[in-house]
Amino acid sequence: MAGVSLYHWEPNANSGKPMLALMEKGVAFTSHYLDLLNFDQHKPEYLALNPQGTIPAMTHGKLVLTESTAIMEYVDEVFPGPRLMPDEPRDRWRIRWWMKFMDQWLAPSFSMIGWNVFVGPAVRSKDPERLKAAIERIPLPERRVAWRKAIYGLFSDDEMKESQRRVAVGIRMLEDALSKREWLASDQYSLADVNGFNLAYALPLSQPKLSNDDLTPNILRWLRAIYARPATKTCWAMGKTAMVKRVAILERPHIGKEPAA
Amino acid sequence: MSMTLYHGEPNGPSFTVLAALFEKGLEADLVRIDLAAGERHSLPCAQQAEVAMSVEGEGPVLVVDGEGMADSIFIACYLDEIGQGPALRPADAYGRWEMMTWCRQMIERTAPAAAYLGCRAHPPRAEVAMLANIGSTDLRLRWEEIGAGVFAPEKLADSSTKITQAAEKIEARLDGREWLMDAFTIADLESYAWLAGMVRLVPSAFAGKPRTSAWMADLKRRPAVARVLSLATVVDPTTSWAPGPEINRWG
Repeated sequence: MAGVSLYHWEPNANSGKPMLALMEKGVAFTSHYLDLLNFDQHKPEYLALNPQGTIPAMTHGKLVLTESTAIMEYVDEVFPGPRLMPDEPRDRWRIRWWMKFMDQWLAPSFSMIGWNVFVGPAVRSKDPERLKAAIERIPLPERRVAWRKAIYGLFSDDEMKESQRRVAVGIRMLEDALSKREWLASDQYSLADVNGFNLAYALPLSQPKLSNDDLTPNILRWLRAIYARPATKTCWAMGKTAMVKRVAILERPHIGKEPAA
Repeated sequence: MSMTLYHGEPNGPSFTVLAALFEKGLEADLVRIDLAAGERHSLPCAQQAEVAMSVEGEGPVLVVDGEGMADSIFIACYLDEIGQGPALRPADAYGRWEMMTWCRQMIERTAPAAAYLGCRAHPPRAEVAMLANIGSTDLRLRWEEIGAGVFAPEKLADSSTKITQAAEKIEARLDGREWLMDAFTIADLESYAWLAGMVRLVPSAFAGKPRTSAWMADLKRRPAVARVLSLATVVDPTTSWAPGPEINRWG
């Protein structure tokens, strides 16, 4: 069988989606860790593989695939192992709907908050001239804007407020959906859950006033159920940053209304 | 299983879903609603999360067993899976990956630009009472800005650029092929759906692009597409617009 290589950052957001999907399927892959905070994804050797400079990217034999959610569908279709898309077409529609909703509407808001508090401060201390040059090398204009805002702390109060509003709406929607079904978009564990966990694994820590065992018991049940899966444990153990180690919050048997210490 | 499709004029996302339905030879009760008057928000399923919070904005809704389904690309995938007609997605997994990434580019970059320009040229008009039914705060804001005639010059310029980029991408892609993928797929429907109305609004984007023009003409000649276009109740359905996906907030 043709070999699989994955170019990824941490098990978090977009990078974590194909990582976890591959591990759930039991597909061995060669891991190429790209340090997002060191702009590895904009270096010539990676741009030769993915000219857009986005992560993750996957190679399967001679094929090169980008876009994390589309990669996950490919992984599920091509490799043996547990199915991560149900047979029922309406379930498959619902899974795709939720993944799109998270990718395009909810995740950018989580991400804006995350970049403001984690990514921006983490790279801001680097040499200003090097940072400037690093921004100039970013191929996609939209990503250049995003990085500039994160690095220099240029998110406006209105933008942050809107992101926080969307996070609150999204949390209510997740709780509502998970009060109707065991898993997010169907009655079986699916790509929507893989996608959602990457978005929400640290939710009770990052949004303690909006998500905890008292306010969103179904979200917490869901997060713990995914965290208990062997593939998730293996995947998150690959994390190197404090950001990813926050997943340990899910080991607490109860997370109440009081902000987590 | 009975299906009801609530759809607008055959343009944008309504075009995609109607065409997928007919291409697959499927039957559904077709109910025309005025998307440009916000009528979608008075449907019985309007407050279901997947309808109210669809990232597509004002698109058609397929109701199956009481569940409202939104997002035209994924409805088209559903119809492809349940219908017996020729496949609307590539036969191999890599081809399907390619189609989904193409469609993602369309819905995230091209569709917001087309809807922005379309709504400026042909503003939809919804009653205040209808706007109050809109479950998504940001979609309601897009309606209010259109109603007030607020169109940011930088967004208009960027939208024209996005349309030009989409046309360039299609022209390059059609070099040596009849359709955007190896066979006719949802990518053709979705791309045409958002760009057909742009030929008149951003003519420079399509000038000197013979392959794109021929592709549009070929697509319109398909029997299923001709049937879709015959459903129009206005002279030119490509002038029917309602708020679409939002222009990306950042990166």
